[in-house]
Amino acid sequence: MAHITLNQYLQQVLEAIDSRDGAFCAEMLSFKHPHVANPRLQLSSPEEKSMHLHSFQAHKEENWALPIMFAATLDLRIFANNAEQQLQSKGKGKVGDMLEKAAEQLMSCFRVCASDNRAGIDDSKKWGMLFLINQLFKIYFKINKLHLCKPLIRAIDSSNLKDDYSTAQRVTYKYYVGRKAMFDSDFKQAEEYLAFSFTHCHRSCQRNKRLILIYLLPVKMLLGHMPTHQLLKKYDLMQFADVTKAVSEGNLLLLNEALVKHETFFIRCGIFLILEKLKIITYRNLFKKVYHLLKTHQLPLDAFLVALKMMKVEDVDIDEVQCILANLIYMGHIKGYISHQHQKLVVSKQNPFPPLSSVS
Amino acid sequence: MNETAMSVGWHQSRRGRGHRHKEQGRANREQVVEQKAEDSVPHGTCMTMCPAYELRQREAQNRLHRFEMVAGTERDRLPSADVSRAVKEYSRPAAGKDSTRASDLRPPSVLLKTVCHLVDEIAASSTSQPWTEVYSFVFDRLRSVRQDMIIQRVSGPDCVAVLEKSVRFLLYASYRLCGQQLQYFDPRINDTHLQECLSWLLESYRDGKHQHQEEFQALSLLYNLGSSQANTHVLELPERIRSSPAVQLALAVSRAHMERNPVRLLRLAQRLDFIQVCAVHRHLLPCRTDLLLLYSHGHSSRNCRYPLQRLARLLFLKDALAVQLCQVCGVNVTEEWVNFSKSSFTDTPSGDLQCRRMHEPLDDERWNCSAGSVIHGCV
Repeated sequence: MAHITLNQYLQQVLEAIDSRDGAFCAEMLSFKHPHVANPRLQLSSPEEKSMHLHSFQAHKEENWALPIMFAATLDLRIFANNAEQQLQSKGKGKVGDMLEKAAEQLMSCFRVCASDNRAGIDDSKKWGMLFLINQLFKIYFKINKLHLCKPLIRAIDSSNLKDDYSTAQRVTYKYYVGRKAMFDSDFKQAEEYLAFSFTHCHRSCQRNKRLILIYLLPVKMLLGHMPTHQLLKKYDLMQFADVTKAVSEGNLLLLNEALVKHETFFIRCGIFLILEKLKIITYRNLFKKVYHLLKTHQLPLDAFLVALKMMKVEDVDIDEVQCILANLIYMGHIKGYISHQHQKLVVSKQNPFPPLSSVS
Repeated sequence: MNETAMSVGWHQSRRGRGHRHKEQGRANREQVVEQKAEDSVPHGTCMTMCPAYELRQREAQNRLHRFEMVAGTERDRLPSADVSRAVKEYSRPAAGKDSTRASDLRPPSVLLKTVCHLVDEIAASSTSQPWTEVYSFVFDRLRSVRQDMIIQRVSGPDCVAVLEKSVRFLLYASYRLCGQQLQYFDPRINDTHLQECLSWLLESYRDGKHQHQEEFQALSLLYNLGSSQANTHVLELPERIRSSPAVQLALAVSRAHMERNPVRLLRLAQRLDFIQVCAVHRHLLPCRTDLLLLYSHGHSSRNCRYPLQRLARLLFLKDALAVQLCQVCGVNVTEEWVNFSKSSFTDTPSGDLQCRRMHEPLDDERWNCSAGSVIHGCV
């Protein structure tokens, strides 16, 4: 590869095009291929790539060029990323500009694929849709414009090919849709998608499995399922260890400490705000302990206040305790009512603290 | 050899590429491109608040605003323009209209002086009545100032100062004119412009040091209470800014909102200063309603009663107002007691109770005195 001349290279590409060998052609065009290192071939210009994208549409009722499109769009996104970084280091350009432009190009490819209604199922360009959507997801998440994902999700939901794409593509797709569901606070859905992604992700892709787990863990914890120490160790996610311990023990002090200690990591992954939602679960676990200790169904409010003070929760008084309890009752985590006159929480004699997974 | 579309395209793109391209060198080319970009950005030369051409035209067509006329000529058939008070008005960009003429554009220093005039002489003046008209005038003229900034791609300290005063003005207006009739004040339009100014301002803060950054990061978070995007933005700020008192207080309020603890939220809100209250006030009524909702479920019992006075204190409302809020929400209330019941709480939107009823009852006189210092930020 390092020694062939430009003409020889082009001859190979043209032969591949003639024989409709999409995969080989894609390799030759991709910037990951060794041919890039050949200085004799460095006249190739970016204009070429966009030329290919236009001619792609001209292939009526054929889809052998899909691998070429995949390679080209992947390179496009990577270039846009690099361009962004270069511009940022020079202090020029608005954040997200390069990536938005790349997204526009990808959208036009997507429209070509999505509107391919003429060809039969084997020749349809619709098989290119999920790959493109995954590329677009990556960009939208990077530039923080998640609302742009919605029409793409709708397109796949209404497609009859959705379960027939390759597992790899589906794992990536569900990962991003799961993360979006998290962002929209739809935790049941998020768990479904992310769990699928995790179980179907190939066991050799440790890095990807870890990435999925970073988002799956908080969701599972919110639904009351704590990860084992083993799991955290296996995937090098010990940052969650203290959080897990704190939540299951109802230890607010430890939870606050854990969140502060690993703040940078959690904020960078975008899960800090969701982990804060674990506070309400922690309150519930703490108060459940109080109930078990006092062994009565008429619990003095003061007991909860004492428990909170023991957890070093600052400047909290009886009014705030009532508010927290009212919230837990409203959400269904406690079955009972507060009597202000008697300064007591009266809980149901049956199952006053329903299991977390049963509470929506 | 078959000529496919691709190979033809490749041949075409080869044209014009050759030795010349290599000779110039990349660094040189970048400089040339930058120079070209610089030349095409307009630089304003109008040193008055209103361009001379527009002034003559509006005077001749009797399109001056009351605040721009020479005193005493308001009732003339053709009032005279007061050069020291006339301000360029906002005009929608249109095809065929050249908005880049240097003589019509005001440089950054003039823009800042214009904004100060609008705040000191108009918004804060006790003689400009009614304030709805003041708002309409200042809103429009500020919009024109921002338009000049956009056309000239202004950035830096002057730009930041203009945006900061604009944000304070719009926040102040959202509080003072809350509840006014739609024809005089539309909260949605005010909100759109406020969000635009805020995001432009926060974007400008990325470069260099700015004196008031902490204050405005806090205001942005308070105004957008409940938005995870606003929250994430603040969490990603540098430690120095995040740990400032203003931002810490805003974060505490935001946390109380996220944890759905209205008792805590309303208590923290008492520690906010005036402009911060302006920013957060539209979230307070929903917060109070939420408290009633949570208590309706948490204290739901036929036999139990909750003292009205205590509830009013939690809501930070006078007793009479607390009673009204309860009634609107379907919460049973007698002279001294409240009886919570989860089945009687109703979630009627807006209802008969307006946000405005819960504001500080300032009279016009005190409103005007505070305006100037609030908008300039000298409180």
